[in-house]
Amino acid sequence: MTHGLVVLAQETVGVNEFAQTIVDGTSFGAIYALLAMGFVIIFKATSVINFAHGALTGLGAFLVAAFATVLDFPGRFLTFLPETAQWTANVITALIAAALIGVILERVFLRPMVGEALFAVAIVTLGLDIAVRTITNDWIGTNPRPIGAPWGLNVVDLGWVRIAHSEIAQIVVTVVLLASIALFFRSRTGVAMRATAFDQETARAQGINVGRVFSQAWAIGAFLAGVAGIFFSVFPRRSTGVDQATAFIAFRAFPAVIIGGLDSIPGAVVGGFAVGIAEATANSYLGFEFLGSGFPGIVGYLLMLVVLLIRPYGLFGTPEIRRV
Amino acid sequence: MRTKSKWLTILLVLGLVLAACGDGGADETTTTASGGEEPTTTASGGDEPTTTAGEEPMEIATDVGVDLDAGTITIGLLSDLSGPFAPLVQIINSGHEIYWADVNANGGINGLQVNLEVRDTGFVVDTHVQLYEELKAQVVAFGHSTGSPHTVAINPQLQADGILAIPLTWYSGWSDPAINANLVPHGVPYCIESMNMIEYLTLQNPDAATIAIASNPGDYGEDSNAGARLAADALGLEIVYDGTGLINAADEATLAEVASGIAGSSADLVWVTSSATPFGAIYGQALAAGFTGALWSGSGPTWNPALVAPDSPLAEPLANDFYISAPYAPWAAESEGNQFVRDLLAEHAPDAPPLDYYAEGVIEAMIMHQALLTAYEAGDLTQAGVLAAAKGLESVSFNGLAPDETYVGEPNDRLQRAQFISRPDPAGLAAGTSTGSTLIETGYTSPIAEAYEFTEACFSLG
Amino acid sequence: MRGRPLLHTSYEADQALLNTTAKRVMIGIFFLLVISIPFQIIPGLKFLGEDDWLRLLSTTAIFAIGALGLNILTGLAGQVSLGHSFFMGIGAYTSVWLGGAVGGPLIGMGLPIWIWLPSAGIVAALIGVAVGPTAVRVRGLYLAIVTLGLVFIGEYFFRNWNSLTGGAQVGRDFPPLQVRLWKEEVPLIDLTSSGPWFGIDISGTAKAFFFLALLAVVFTLLAKNLQRTRVGRAFMSIRDRDIAAEIMGVNEFAYKLLAFGISSFYAGIAGALLASFVTRVIPERWDLFLSVQFIAIILIGGAGTVTGALLGSAFVVLLPRIVQNFTLWMQSVATQGEGIGAAIADVLVATSPNDFGLVNTFAGVGPGLSVAQLNLVLYGLLIIGFLIFEPLGLYGIWLRIRNYWKGWPFTY
Repeated sequence: MTHGLVVLAQETVGVNEFAQTIVDGTSFGAIYALLAMGFVIIFKATSVINFAHGALTGLGAFLVAAFATVLDFPGRFLTFLPETAQWTANVITALIAAALIGVILERVFLRPMVGEALFAVAIVTLGLDIAVRTITNDWIGTNPRPIGAPWGLNVVDLGWVRIAHSEIAQIVVTVVLLASIALFFRSRTGVAMRATAFDQETARAQGINVGRVFSQAWAIGAFLAGVAGIFFSVFPRRSTGVDQATAFIAFRAFPAVIIGGLDSIPGAVVGGFAVGIAEATANSYLGFEFLGSGFPGIVGYLLMLVVLLIRPYGLFGTPEIRRV
Repeated sequence: MRTKSKWLTILLVLGLVLAACGDGGADETTTTASGGEEPTTTASGGDEPTTTAGEEPMEIATDVGVDLDAGTITIGLLSDLSGPFAPLVQIINSGHEIYWADVNANGGINGLQVNLEVRDTGFVVDTHVQLYEELKAQVVAFGHSTGSPHTVAINPQLQADGILAIPLTWYSGWSDPAINANLVPHGVPYCIESMNMIEYLTLQNPDAATIAIASNPGDYGEDSNAGARLAADALGLEIVYDGTGLINAADEATLAEVASGIAGSSADLVWVTSSATPFGAIYGQALAAGFTGALWSGSGPTWNPALVAPDSPLAEPLANDFYISAPYAPWAAESEGNQFVRDLLAEHAPDAPPLDYYAEGVIEAMIMHQALLTAYEAGDLTQAGVLAAAKGLESVSFNGLAPDETYVGEPNDRLQRAQFISRPDPAGLAAGTSTGSTLIETGYTSPIAEAYEFTEACFSLG
Repeated sequence: MRGRPLLHTSYEADQALLNTTAKRVMIGIFFLLVISIPFQIIPGLKFLGEDDWLRLLSTTAIFAIGALGLNILTGLAGQVSLGHSFFMGIGAYTSVWLGGAVGGPLIGMGLPIWIWLPSAGIVAALIGVAVGPTAVRVRGLYLAIVTLGLVFIGEYFFRNWNSLTGGAQVGRDFPPLQVRLWKEEVPLIDLTSSGPWFGIDISGTAKAFFFLALLAVVFTLLAKNLQRTRVGRAFMSIRDRDIAAEIMGVNEFAYKLLAFGISSFYAGIAGALLASFVTRVIPERWDLFLSVQFIAIILIGGAGTVTGALLGSAFVVLLPRIVQNFTLWMQSVATQGEGIGAAIADVLVATSPNDFGLVNTFAGVGPGLSVAQLNLVLYGLLIIGFLIFEPLGLYGIWLRIRNYWKGWPFTY
C-alpha cells in the first residue's frame, strides 16, 4: 500500500505541535477573514447585516465548481495556456458571475428596503438566505462537486511543520486581497464608499452615486465569499469539494465579525484570524473527554461573548451614538 | 423608484424559480419508449404473475390505501427530501418510482396500479410523526421510513395501527423482535457490517495490530462502532484512537479533531462511520498530517463516488487505501438485478444519471412488491394483511442486487450477515464505465459476524 | 349609547380586551369553531377534524405560545432575538428532567405535568434572566448575533449531555401529555389515548388539541393583557426610543431583563409542550432554523400584535401542508384534466422524470425544485415579500380589510 506521492511518505516525527496549530489556525482564519471582510464591507456600505452570506458562499463555490470542471469556461477556448492558467481563468470568471449575482440580489431584494429599520432588513437577508441556499442546493445535487484545484495533495514538509500547497496559496491570495482592498479604499471609488458608509444622505448630496456604491459593496462581498468557498472546498479542508453543507461555514464567521466590530475592516481580519487560531488551539490542547464533541466549534462564539462583555461594540467597532 | 423596485423583485423571483428548473428544461424528450417492450425486464425483476384476466375476481379484503374499483394501491414514503440525507433519499425515491412505473406498465399487481404518496420529513422527528399521521389514512403500507429516531418515534403508532414500514436505516435493533413487530429491515445492520469489514481489512493486511475508529453521533455511529469494538477484541487489534460520536458534518472543528486523532494514533487500520464529505475532509487532513500506509474502510454511506471523481485530489490515494462496504451491488455490477435496475432507468428515466442509490429504492420496492403479492393471494389487502404477508415472507430474492432476505425464524437466524464489498474505481468513473466502484465480494461473511449471537440491538436507542 | 360603535364612556371600556361588539361576536364564533373542529360538524371544514390536521392545528397552538413570547421580546420591547429555540430547548429538557421516565438509563423523576410544565417555563425564564445582562449590554444587531451564538452553544450542550438529552441524533422520549395527581399508575386525564369525555367518545389527538388550544387561549390572554399594563407600555417605550424611555423613568435594564424573562418563559412552555406532543425529540431539533421560524411568524403575522402572532403561527405551520396539497392538486390537474387548466398546470408541475415543470412531483431527482424545496423557497420569499410589501404582516392585511368594510360604501 504505497502512495505515488513521495512528499506524503516522509517521516513526520518532530512536527512541532504548537507551530502546526498556528499554521492550521491561520489557514482556517484566512477563510473566516475573507468571509468577515465581505460581511463588513456590505454592512459598512449598505447598512445591511447580511445573513445571506452563507448562501453567497455556497453559490460562489458552486459556480466555481461548475465553471472550473463541468463547463470548463472559458478555459476550453484558452487551450494555448497551461492548465493552471486555464483553471485560474475559469475561477475568475465564476467569481465575477458570483459577484454579478450579488449585485442583482441587492438591487432586487434589498434596494426596496433602503431606509427601513436595520432589523427588518436583516430579516430580509434571512429569507434570502433560505431561498438562495435551497436553489443552490438543487443545482449542486446529490454528490459533492470537486473544484478541480491544481494543488492536489502536495504538502511542504519543513520537518517541524507541514503546510499544504493549497494553504500557501490561500494565505497568499488572502494577503493580496487584503492589500487590494486597503488600496481600493484609497481610490476614488473607495473614498465614495467610505463616504457612503459614513452617511448615505450626505454622500448622495455630495454627488456620490449611492446606488452604485451599494452594488459595488455586494459585488465585493459576494466575490470574497466565493474565494472563501473555494479554499473551504479543497484539500486539506473539504477535499470532496462543494456540497449542500458548504453554506454553513458562514455561521462560523459571524463571531469573527462581532469580535472585530461590525463596521471595522481591520477588525474583521483580526477577528477572522483570532477565531481560526482559537479553534485550532482548542482542537490541539483542549481534547478533554468531558468537553465531548464539537467544543472547538463553539470557541468562536464563547470568545465573542467574552469580547462583547468587555467591549460591547467589538475590538475595533464604532460605538453607536445614542441620542434621544 | 419604489414601485419599480417592487416590480423588479417580482420579476427576479420568477426568474429565480425559472432558473431553478432550467437545468432540466431543455431536455424534454419524446414520450414513446425506445424500441419495443423488453420482455426480459419483468422476468429479471422478480416474479411478475400473469394478470388474471377472464377469471372470476376473488374476494379481496381491503381497508385503507387499496381501491379495487379504481384499481389502485397506494404506498407511502416518509423520505428526507430537504434534510441532511436529501441527496441520497431523492435518488432512492427515484428507484421506487422507476420500479413501480415498470410494474404498472406490466399490468400492476394483478391489475392494480401502484401509486406512491411521498412526503418530505426534512429529517425532523415531529414532521415525521405529523406526516405519518397524514399518510396512515391513505396508504396500505410505508415503502420506507427515513431515520432511526424517527422510525422509533412512529413505531408505537405503527403497532397500534397495524401498518407495515420498511426502515430506511440499518440500525441493528430492527432485527430485534422486541422492536420490529411492524418493520421489515433489509441488509447488513451497522454493527455486523463493521465486524465484516474490519475482519476483511485484516485479511488484506495480516500484520495489522492497531485500529482507529471514529463515527457520527447517534445510532448510526454508535451501533457501527459497537461492532467495531467487538471485532477489534476478537481479532486482537488494539484500538489506538476512539472517536465514536465525534464527527459532526456541519462542524469543521470536529473533523479536524478526528483527523488529528487518527493521524496521531499511527493505526494500521481505520474504520470511519460517517458520510462522504466529512470523510473526505478527515481522510485529506490525515494525509496532510503525513498519515499514510493505513487501510481505510467505512460504513456504507461513508462512501460516495465523488471521492474518486476525476477532479478529486483524493482519487489516487483512496483507490489504494479504501475498501467500500456496499449495502447493495454498485451500478455497473454484472448481476441480473443490476441489469434490471439499468434497464428500468433506461426505460423510465433515460436522462437520469447512473447512480448506485437507485438500487436501494428498487430493493425496498421489491420487498413491498412481494408483500403485496402475497397479501393479494391471501385475499387480504388490508393494512394488517400486508403486514402479516410481509412478516411471513420466507425468501425475498434481489437477483444479485443485494443478499437475499428472510423474515421468518429466530432473530439470530434471520439476521442478515452477508456483505457486499467493493473497491474504488476512479478509472472506470472517469471513463464512464462504472459509478466509481467495482464489486469484489458478493456475500462475504466474516467468522466474527457469523459467530455473533444476536439477542438485542448492539446499541440501545433507549 | 347602545349601538354606537367606538363610543366609549370610560377608560376601562376603551381599554377592554373586547372593546367592540364585532370583536365579541367574532371571538364567540371563533371559539365555537375551535370546539366544533374535532367533531367534524361544519361542512367544508370537516377535514380539519382528521387526525393529521388536528395534529397540525395542535402544533399551531404550541407555536402560537412560543410566538407570543418572542412577540413580547421583539415586537413589544424591540429586542431582536435569534435565540428562541435555545430557550425552547431549555424548557423541553427541564420538563424531561422532572417528568421523564424513572429508572431508565437517563435522568428523569417521573413527576406529573402540573409540576413539569410550569417548571419548564420558570427554568427557561431564569436562564433568560441569567443571560440577560450580556444581552442587555449589547444592542441592536450585535444582540441578534449574540443570541445566534446562544443557539449554537446550547446545541453543543444538548448534543453532549447524553444522560439528559439522550445524545446527538438519538434523543429520548418526553413525558406524555397525561395529567396525574402524583406518580400514580393510571393518569387522571389521559390526553394521548382515545376514550369518552363527559359521555362523548373522542380521540387522543382531539383531547390533546383541546388541551393545547386551551393553553394557547390562556397565554394569549396573558400576552394581550400585558400590552395594556404598565409593563407593556414600558416595553414599548424602550422599543420606540430607549434613552427617551429612561429619561421618563423607565428602568431600561430591569425592563429588558423582564422582557427576556417573560419571553423565555413562553418559549420554555412551548418547548416542553412541543417535545411532549411529539414524544421523541433529538437535540438537533433546537436549532437556528426553529428560531428563524419564530422570527418569520411574528414578521409574517405582524410584529407587535398578539393577533399577528396567532395568524403567523397558523400561516407558518400550515404553509408546507398547503403548498404540498396545492402541488398535488396541480399534478392531478396536469395528468387528468383537460383544457387551459391542464395546460397551465403542465408547465408548473413535472410529473415524470422527463417532464418539464417549475415543481417536480416525481419522487426523486429530476428537473425543477422538489415540493420540499419549493416550500423552502416560498418560505424565504414570503418573509422577504411581507417585509417589502406589507411590513404590518397578515395583521396589516386584516386591518385594511376591516377598515374597508368599516367605511363601506365609502373608501375612507
